[in-house]
Amino acid sequence: MRHRDLEQIALIALRCARLLMQSGSNGRVIHECGALLARSQGVELLGLRVGYASTSITLGRDGNSITRMVTVAGHGVNHRLDQAVRALVREAARTGMTPAEIGTGLDALLADTPRYPGWLVAIAVGVACAAFSGLFGADDRAMLATLLASGVGQAVRQTMHRRGINVFVIVAAVALLSAFLGGLGARLDGSGTVDLALFGATLLLVPGVPATNAQVDVVDGFPTLGSARAVSVLMVMVFVAVGIWVAQILLGMQT
Amino acid sequence: MTPLLAHALHQAALAALAAAGFGVLFNAAPRALVFCAAGGALALALRTLLQDNGWSLEAASFVAAVVVTLLAVGVVRRWLGSGATAVAVAGCIPMVPGAFFARALLGLFALTAPNATGVDQTLAVTVVAMLRVVFTLGGIGAGIAISLTVLRRREF
Repeated sequence: MRHRDLEQIALIALRCARLLMQSGSNGRVIHECGALLARSQGVELLGLRVGYASTSITLGRDGNSITRMVTVAGHGVNHRLDQAVRALVREAARTGMTPAEIGTGLDALLADTPRYPGWLVAIAVGVACAAFSGLFGADDRAMLATLLASGVGQAVRQTMHRRGINVFVIVAAVALLSAFLGGLGARLDGSGTVDLALFGATLLLVPGVPATNAQVDVVDGFPTLGSARAVSVLMVMVFVAVGIWVAQILLGMQT
Repeated sequence: MTPLLAHALHQAALAALAAAGFGVLFNAAPRALVFCAAGGALALALRTLLQDNGWSLEAASFVAAVVVTLLAVGVVRRWLGSGATAVAVAGCIPMVPGAFFARALLGLFALTAPNATGVDQTLAVTVVAMLRVVFTLGGIGAGIAISLTVLRRREF
């Protein structure tokens, strides 16, 4: 096998790995993806390193080997894209698709994988945060304020995300906006649990999937990746706290 | 209906809404949303019943996470394939101890405010709340991770 052929396999495996990371997969899934693709292409997977900000792979055959790396940014959670990429990798392994065909398939997935409309996501997030507040003991008025505030917060988050703003800046800004609106709305409506509305409206920012993946990665034997995820989760919570703190000051609940 | 059961159903209904809402945020398929809601409802109902029977929040959260993950990976996988893992995570998200986190956060702000009063009591309440957050999150994460390891399946 020529060096150039190894490179094409390496690059398509890395592209799949990056998409899976960006969609919320854990380290073990990405390792299985790399191993399956390599095996189906008739090459040996000599090494695969899955990091938080980059992924590298080493493939070999007939005495030739190649190492390639890609950067990974824009971590998120996209369940349907994640499942679609896995299905494509399975299909590629079963039918022996070429790297070029897999690349075309990935292009199609990125273009065609359905997403819920932004307005629906905002409403769903509002309902989820309001329900969360109810679980904490918020009264009905606080739950209504939480619903509206977190829905607005999610809409703003989507807009800021589209403009490519730093993720931690988005977290702080949305936490501030949602907490302020939630607290203000609950207070104006006469709620007895203003602080729960203020806090509950920021729950859309809680990084539940990365937090779970961090622990799963450590358990699965990827402590570096797990640690990086945990630090990222911690930083998100710090920025959420900053937003809540400023909102409290604006509402006169903090000096 | 007993007050205990009514409380558990109330918590389960709210948890179902929360889990399904987060499922939409995670772009889960419509069919998966039903399982997310069911997972959230089961997790909170079980945790509430255990707590009402004297279990600690941390232990009850751990057991609920184990049960939901085992059911997701062992049963729901028939319909959703490898997507069942995401259902387990979404189902466990409503168990995040947000009330204690809020209490801890507000306590930290109060402690660092100028002219803070009642520092000793605030410190104790804050530390306890923070520890409960850490232990409960650890219990949920461990419950999911251990169950996934025990019922290890190929992801492809």
